[in-house]
Amino acid sequence: MDRTHRVILYTLILIAGAAWIALASDASPAETLSAPQTGFYAPGFTLQTLEGETYTLSDFKGQALLINMWATWCPPCRAEMPAIEKMYREYKDRGFVVLAVNSAFQDKTQDIPAFALEYGLTFPILLDKAGEASRAYRVASMPSSYFVNPQGLITEVVIGGPMSEALLRARIEEALK
Amino acid sequence: MLEAFQTIFAPPRHMILLIIAAWLGVSLAERNSESTGVGKADINNLAFHGFIAFVVGGRISYALQHMGIFGKSPADILSINPDLFDPLGGIAAGFIAVLVYSQRNNIGAWNAMDALTPLFAAIGIGLGLSRLASGGAFGIPTDLPWGIHLWNATRHPTQIYDALASSLILALVWRFKPSLRPGLLFLTFSALTAFSQLVLQAFRADAILIFGGIRQSQVMAWVALATSFVLIEARSSSKNQKAG
Repeated sequence: MDRTHRVILYTLILIAGAAWIALASDASPAETLSAPQTGFYAPGFTLQTLEGETYTLSDFKGQALLINMWATWCPPCRAEMPAIEKMYREYKDRGFVVLAVNSAFQDKTQDIPAFALEYGLTFPILLDKAGEASRAYRVASMPSSYFVNPQGLITEVVIGGPMSEALLRARIEEALK
Repeated sequence: MLEAFQTIFAPPRHMILLIIAAWLGVSLAERNSESTGVGKADINNLAFHGFIAFVVGGRISYALQHMGIFGKSPADILSINPDLFDPLGGIAAGFIAVLVYSQRNNIGAWNAMDALTPLFAAIGIGLGLSRLASGGAFGIPTDLPWGIHLWNATRHPTQIYDALASSLILALVWRFKPSLRPGLLFLTFSALTAFSQLVLQAFRADAILIFGGIRQSQVMAWVALATSFVLIEARSSSKNQKAG
């Protein structure tokens, strides 16, 4: 193929590409479903604390959230708790909330008070006794963390840990925007 | 089957697929070494230096973009969290490392890029499969029979489209290799990849929209395609002039 034919071919491909971009812009990618993935609404749940206090996710609309799925026997969950507590104290005045969802269906709930005391945890610890939240969030690894913005949309998912202070700060700032 | 695949390679295990793809890519690049004129040891060194620069550069680029955050906990620049990473910064650093290594070892820059092309193509396949495992880069809802159920809807299997497109591109660049002038193999790969992304990004549901609904990734792919065409033509013209 000579140069002229090649240039004509390139031009035609680029024109077709530009037309395809314009055509594809009609398909709206906005998601209105709930799913444990960035860009979706955070799946709802209603859980209780050890003290019997009830928390429903929808009650926190208008606030930035970190939903942290954890267990006392999970070493990275333990390792990231001090950083989560520190960030909670630093950002709670700006409307940031931590909901630490313990996988109570596969954990010893009697160990939780000592765990909370050891790490000086002041945020609510919710008990997922039936595995309802774990199923809704399809938790396959622990810890699993979901950052949610005030509109209820998941802004970031972090699977595994421990999360560093820098990562927590970056994701919280993003969720607070 | 998809569910079993997603269970086995659930995040963070999905990264294993990328590592396997990179390993296979380096092996393919070694097999291709004779036709690109770059020795096997140099291919390994190029891949190694490029990878280290990708990791370090991606972290430094991320830290520079979030100076305020790292200023409060500077030690976290060494954190093991892979999420503190800027992929574009990493790719730029990787390319610079490859260019520096090739220059210091008297390997033509275009030869080096050609030599690593099978690696890039294999990583494209691994990226599609790892995204399929993690559920990332998901498609828009569809009622087509090959749609996959993901995130509470039947969707275009965009991750599979990406893996198939990358497989096809790898097969094409593998087939075209012997007669090309240095650089044309890599540029052909770039043009094919940009073209496939220009087409396939239209089916992604997690697109960033600009100018009232245009997908940013498609615009970037279009620019990359146009740039590849210009460079292919420049390389071809240079060949013709020399031949003349």
